[in-house]
Amino acid sequence: MKLRVENGSFYYKKSVPIFENINFEAKEGEILAILGPNGAGKTTMLRCITGMLKWKAGKSLLDNEDIASMQPRKLWSKMAYVPQAKSVSSAYTALEMVLLGRSSHLNVFESPGQEDVKKAFEVMGFLEIAHLADKKCSEVSGGELQMILIAKALASDPKVLVLDEPESNLDFKNQLVVLNAMSNLAARGMTCIFNTHYPAHALQRAQKSLILLKGGSYVFGDTTSVVTETNILRAFGVDAVISEIETPGNLLKNVVPIDIMAEEKKERLKTVDKRCIAAMTIIANSNEIADKINGLLHEYNFLLIGRMGMPYRECGLYIIHVTLDGKENQILELAHKLNVLPGIRVKTTFAKGDFDDRGEKQIDESGNYSKIE
Amino acid sequence: MTGTARIGKLNLRWKIALVILPFVTALIALGIGRYFMTPAEVLDAILGRFTGRYEVSDMAYKTIWNLRIPRILLALLVGAGLSTAGCAFQSLFANPLATPDTLGVASGASFGAALGILLGFDMLGMQTTSFLMGALAVALTWLGGSGKSRGLSSVVLSGIMMGSLFNALVSLVKYLADAETQLPAITYWLMGGLNSAGYRSLLFGAPPVILGIFLLFCIRWRMNLLPLSEDESKSSGINLYVLRGVTIICATVITASCVSMCGQVGWVGLLIPHMCRMKFGSNHMSLVPASISFGAVFMVIVDTAARTMTASEIPVSILTAIIGAPFFIILMRKSGGWQL
Repeated sequence: MKLRVENGSFYYKKSVPIFENINFEAKEGEILAILGPNGAGKTTMLRCITGMLKWKAGKSLLDNEDIASMQPRKLWSKMAYVPQAKSVSSAYTALEMVLLGRSSHLNVFESPGQEDVKKAFEVMGFLEIAHLADKKCSEVSGGELQMILIAKALASDPKVLVLDEPESNLDFKNQLVVLNAMSNLAARGMTCIFNTHYPAHALQRAQKSLILLKGGSYVFGDTTSVVTETNILRAFGVDAVISEIETPGNLLKNVVPIDIMAEEKKERLKTVDKRCIAAMTIIANSNEIADKINGLLHEYNFLLIGRMGMPYRECGLYIIHVTLDGKENQILELAHKLNVLPGIRVKTTFAKGDFDDRGEKQIDESGNYSKIE
Repeated sequence: MTGTARIGKLNLRWKIALVILPFVTALIALGIGRYFMTPAEVLDAILGRFTGRYEVSDMAYKTIWNLRIPRILLALLVGAGLSTAGCAFQSLFANPLATPDTLGVASGASFGAALGILLGFDMLGMQTTSFLMGALAVALTWLGGSGKSRGLSSVVLSGIMMGSLFNALVSLVKYLADAETQLPAITYWLMGGLNSAGYRSLLFGAPPVILGIFLLFCIRWRMNLLPLSEDESKSSGINLYVLRGVTIICATVITASCVSMCGQVGWVGLLIPHMCRMKFGSNHMSLVPASISFGAVFMVIVDTAARTMTASEIPVSILTAIIGAPFFIILMRKSGGWQL
C-alpha cells in the first residue's frame, strides 16, 4: 500500500510553521526514515501522517484515499502505529497487549476469540517473542517491550506500519532486532515509516528519507541522496562524516559525528544553495593518497574550472590547487570528503561577493567546465 | 496457564463463584441482626412471599421483607456500583488513586442531598436533587477541564477543583442549616449509611446503577484500551472519545445514584478494584466482573457489621475504612504491589 503526503502543512501557532507544503511518499515494501533534530517535529509528523493530528493544509493519502475522510476502523485496519516503548507502562501480559491490537477487527461488545489468539501467536512467533506471552509488559526489558508493541501493531494485519523511534533507548543488539524486524516486514511488502535519531539507521535500512529542518522546510528523496554530510550539517548542526565500512558480507554506511558546527559556518549554511567561487589547496603526504584525491576530484568534476597538480618529491609531498565554481554545499561536501582522508590538509578559500546564476555551465569536449557568458 | 485465563477470561469455577458469592453472603447477612435467623429460616421467609406459606414467625417475615431485604439489596447495588465506577475511573485516568469521586460526582451529589435536607424535601426529592447535582458537578468538571489537545490530567485537576467547590457549598448549606434538626441530619447523612433503604428509594435509584454496571460490563474488553496512551488507543481504530464518554457517563450515573441513596461511602471504589487487580490482573475481561461481585460482597459484610456491632448503628464509611485499609495493606504486601 502506498502512503503519500500532499502539500502537508502544520502549525500550532500560525506564525511558527512546523511543516510547510511537505510532499513525500512511501511505496509498498519501502522503508521511509524520518530524521530531524529534537524539536523539528518528528513525532508531530507521524501524528499528522496518521491523521491523529489534522493537517492545517494538505492531506495524507493511503492508496489515493484521503485518510481524514476514512472511518477510524477502516483506516486502522490498514495502518498500525507503534508508540515509543518508554511511554507505555502497563500491567497487561504481552498476549493481552498484542490482542488489543485486534480492536479494529472487533465490534464494541466483542472480545477476542480463538481466531484472534491464533493471530496474536502468529505475529509473536514471527517476531520471535512467543515465549513472552504470559509475562507482564511492566516486567519485560525495553527491547522486549518494543517488540511486543510491534506485535500489537502487526496483530491488526496492517499494510502500513508507522513506528515512533522504535530503536531509541535500546542496546546494540536490540536495535538490530528491531531494525531487522522492520526490514523483514518491508521485504514482505509492508510499507514502513519510522522516526529515528540515527542517520546511520536511515542509510542502512531505508530506501527513502525525509529530513525535517527547523522552520518548516525539509529534504526528501532517496536515502543516499538525502542523508548526506551537508544535510546532516544543515539539520543537526553537526559536522559528520559518512563512511563506508566493509564487512565480509557487505558494505555498510555509517555516520560518525565529528564536531558541533562553528557559528560562522552555520551563518554560511543559510545560503548553501548560493553559487560560490572558491580556491582549494590540498596537500597530501604520499602519492598513494593522491590517487584517492584524483578519484574524488573526478567525482566532483562538474565543480572544477581549474586544476594544477605538483609533486614535491624531495619532501614526499603532493600539492594540488583547484579552482571551483558551483553550489556552496557541493564545494563544502568535496572539501569534507577530502579532509577525512588520512595524511591530508585542505584549505578552501571562498571568493568575496555574490555571483548570480545567469552564467550557465557547460561541459566541453575535454571534460572540463567552461562558462558561457 | 489454560487458554481462557491467558486472554483474561475467567474460568468456569471463578465464573460460578463470582455469581454465587454475593447471593450466599446476602443470604447469611439476611439472618444476622438483633433478630437472628438461620439461612434456612431466611430462605423459608423469602419463599413464603411467593408460596403464601411460611413457618417462621410473622415478626421474622416482616423483618426480612420490610427491613433487611431492601437494605441488603441496597448494599449489593452500592458495593457493586461504586467498585465498578472506581475501576472505570482508575483505568480512564490511568491513575491508581482515582476514585468514583475524582470528577467531583460525590461532592456534587452530597451538596444536592444537603440542599434537599435544608429545603425540607422528602426522601425522593432529596434523592433527585442529589442525583442531579452529582451529574451537574461532572458536567462542569468536563466543561472546565476538557479541550482540544489537552490531556486527561487537566480533567482530573478540574474535578478536584469542582470537588472542593461543592464541598464548600456543602459547608455553606451546613452553616445555614438549622442547628437543632437539619445540621445533624446532614452530618449523619454525609457519613453514609444504608439505614434509609426502602423499596421506593430503590425503585428510583437502582435502575441507573444497574444500567451503568451493565453497560460497563458489556464494553469491558474495550475498557482495556483506556489506560493506554492517547495515540495508542486512537490507533486501535476505536473512537476514543466515545469510549471515554460512555465510561464517564456510566461511572458518573452509578456514583451519583449511589450517593443519592446512601450518602458518601468512601473506600469501596478504591479498595475493591485494586484487590481484584492483585488477584485477577489488569485485564478488564475478568477485572470488571470481579469488581462487581467482590464490591457487592464487601459492602454487604461491612453494612451487616455496621448495623450489628453496637446497639446503635455505626456509619458505614467509618467501617469501610477500618475494615478495608488493613486488609488492603496486608494484600498489597503479600502480592507485591499492584499496577494498572
